[in-house]
Amino acid sequence: MDIKVPHLAENITGGIVAAVLVKEGDSVKKDQTVVELDTEKAVAAVPTKEAGIVEKILVNVGDNVRVGQTLIKIKTTSAGKQKDTAEVSEDKEKPKPQRNNQQISERGSSYKYHSSTDSVPPTAPHVRKIAQDLGIDLTMIQGSERGGRIILSDLKRYIQHIQNISEGRDNIPKVADAVSIPDFSAWGSVKKEKAGTVRQKIAEKMTLSWTTIPHVTQFDEADITNLLALRKKELSGFELQGVRPTVTGYLIKILVPLLKKHRKFNASYNVAAQEILYKEYLNLGIAVDTEQGLIVPVIKNIDTMDLVKLSKELESIADKARKRAVSLEDIQGASFTISNQGGIGGMHFTPIINPPEVAILGIGKAKEMPIVFEGKIVPRMILPLCLSYDHRLIDGADTARFMKDLVEALEHIT
Amino acid sequence: MQKTKTDIVVVGAGPGGYAAAFYGRDKGKKITLIDKSERLGGVCLNHGCIPSKALLHATKLIKEAKESGFRGIHFGEPKINLDEMRTWKNGILRKLESGIRQLAKKREVEVINGRGYFEDSKTIRVETNAGQQFIEFDKAIIAVGSKPTLPKTFDLGNPRIMTSTEALEIEEIPENILIVGGGYIGMELGTVYSTLGSQVVVVEALNSILMGADADLVRYVMMYAKKNFKEVRLNTEVEKLATSGKKIKVTFKKNGETFDEIFDRVLVSIGRKPNDDDLGLENTHVTLDERKFITVNEKQQTRDQNIYAIGDIVGGMMLAHKASREARIAIEAITGENSPHTNIIPAVVFTDPEIAWAGLTEDEAKQKNIQISVARFPWGASGRALTFDRTDGMTKLIIEPETERILGVGIAGHGAGELIAEGVVAIEMGATAYDLAHSIHPHPTLSETLMECAEAFYGHATHVAK
Repeated sequence: MDIKVPHLAENITGGIVAAVLVKEGDSVKKDQTVVELDTEKAVAAVPTKEAGIVEKILVNVGDNVRVGQTLIKIKTTSAGKQKDTAEVSEDKEKPKPQRNNQQISERGSSYKYHSSTDSVPPTAPHVRKIAQDLGIDLTMIQGSERGGRIILSDLKRYIQHIQNISEGRDNIPKVADAVSIPDFSAWGSVKKEKAGTVRQKIAEKMTLSWTTIPHVTQFDEADITNLLALRKKELSGFELQGVRPTVTGYLIKILVPLLKKHRKFNASYNVAAQEILYKEYLNLGIAVDTEQGLIVPVIKNIDTMDLVKLSKELESIADKARKRAVSLEDIQGASFTISNQGGIGGMHFTPIINPPEVAILGIGKAKEMPIVFEGKIVPRMILPLCLSYDHRLIDGADTARFMKDLVEALEHIT
Repeated sequence: MQKTKTDIVVVGAGPGGYAAAFYGRDKGKKITLIDKSERLGGVCLNHGCIPSKALLHATKLIKEAKESGFRGIHFGEPKINLDEMRTWKNGILRKLESGIRQLAKKREVEVINGRGYFEDSKTIRVETNAGQQFIEFDKAIIAVGSKPTLPKTFDLGNPRIMTSTEALEIEEIPENILIVGGGYIGMELGTVYSTLGSQVVVVEALNSILMGADADLVRYVMMYAKKNFKEVRLNTEVEKLATSGKKIKVTFKKNGETFDEIFDRVLVSIGRKPNDDDLGLENTHVTLDERKFITVNEKQQTRDQNIYAIGDIVGGMMLAHKASREARIAIEAITGENSPHTNIIPAVVFTDPEIAWAGLTEDEAKQKNIQISVARFPWGASGRALTFDRTDGMTKLIIEPETERILGVGIAGHGAGELIAEGVVAIEMGATAYDLAHSIHPHPTLSETLMECAEAFYGHATHVAK
């Protein structure tokens, strides 16, 4: 029996082998995890469906694998005869060649060439030459010929495609790194490190966001002296319920009615259909700093939660993200995102929108500042706020109104 | 001190150096080509590929004539005149050498006969018969090649202990000859000497001859050697060579035991080493690896921005066609063009039968744990091979299972060196077995074995029994 890369989740085409948990010759039980795959943001376990003996391991840690690719061959204990795979030349059962011709450019799933033998994409020297001159990565192009061979027209189609993206007519993440990398060895030695899946995905998403969304960032500040006092007062009561709400928790509580009032900030803009999609749910993405890089797990339906539940959710989801234990569902479906740098110590910054969302709220570190308050200069705790929005859908005035409401709500919390 | 100026200095006029010089000139650069030998063409032309192929061709006639009796054609004993043979062989070399010189002249490439020595990253000093000459260059390409390794313990100054350079001169036909090293040079020259009538013993420290080629291809050469050589001694080392009268006493070591044997001549063909002594590289930023090969990046550029290196001097497969390709990469790097790099370098061993391969080998796939499919076509099923009584051959394809793409081609058999070119094109073009099977190959030719091999992959080769 072959253990293949299973269908993991929508839009996930593969991953990197994070761990191979068995050796050739090991016996395995039904449902035992044999391989762990490092997908976009979560580690997915691949179990064996039947008990047996590991006959052959076809992948190594670090290999890029695609859905459907065989990872391990298992000699099932129940199976009668097993075909000897050593002499393949007499193997009548030939694997079917892959012929998913038009899949890429039209649909735009992020195609990445994969070869079970680690070979470079098949194409002729003249195509390689053009790709090299233009700084195009051939592994991004799906060849239309037998065996995935890339011909000139495939390359042309791909070039057309990245042009469409840069003109914003196409919302598909397919931008190859067009900046040619010089030979740094002329200046000194360089240590190369393979970018992990998380990094690759961040790079792809940020490029997409930055190149397709006209970003504007609105800065403001809120006096949260009262909020902090309130938190201090309420803390002992909450601690009895086993939580310690953070400023972020209070802020999210405040955001719920605001996002309901300012519906556009919880919407998406469909350029192709020229439609605005107002979401009637509130799923909040929380940017979490992990060892692998930025991960944005999602707390679903924050409008149904009280501060206790919300605080618990916040804690557990951040913890899961740091341990890389978030599932693929955990990172999908956000309708608005917040990114809080306060814990580290930032002031204002310009967060990048996580499409198809249209806004993201950045929070800096609250700082004691001399403020004119009721006619006197007094020390107050000031929280920096920065709201990036998609100007295709949201205008400056919308944001000014949203921000004003937010600051007021923060300052006049009771 | 008078300095002349040039755009590109090329040091070494072998198949790497002269290709670089000509291509650079074709790109409009002013070129100075320096070689310490009066004869252009390097080892390949003067002491390697060309003379060995001439001798292999000539001696093959002897064997073919001898083995024609059963076809009803009987020849008498051949009379061999070594002087005439050398004259004929050297005539070929001269013709080629003067061809290169003509090409250089027509292109207005300046050729200087002398030893080049780098003064710094912009200047080379050339010691010629007419004195010293200083040349200032924008860029330099080092293509000084390699020479046979002759360990000090073997180098007794006795002319009966030869490297390939001397062996190709065929001073005499020794009654017996020991060939130390079962690589391609040893096996090719062993074929020449055994056909001329010498008793040939090949000694190899490893457990196989022709390391790097797949065992199923090497088998055919081994069959030939077993029949025509006196012996192929594997897993055996040569401890010592000593002069013993007019002969050489050789001390072997096998399984911890030593024993002596006397030979008329010994050919040492255990490898080649870089020619980078005495080039003044210490006055530049060029760096060497632990085996003294020059380190270069994928553009053939050394750690010195102005200096490139190509061919044997940078290591890897020490083959003329690799050097010629690298010459183009270096020139294109200098002129600011991009050359897509390829690593499909075909290898040919001109033994009898020949062995040739390109791309991925089965051995390499096994080592790297790459899963492949292999399709084989034995030449016993080739009508063409039967017509000249050489069915001792095989064609095989190394295929990526999911895509049916051809990743490697291996051929053993008569003319394998010519046939492999089709394999190289197939691999370079990203062709699949399907493509090869559906390209019509002329009948009756050996090229059909490639097509039928591809058909065999799909299980329907016409001439393979089910």
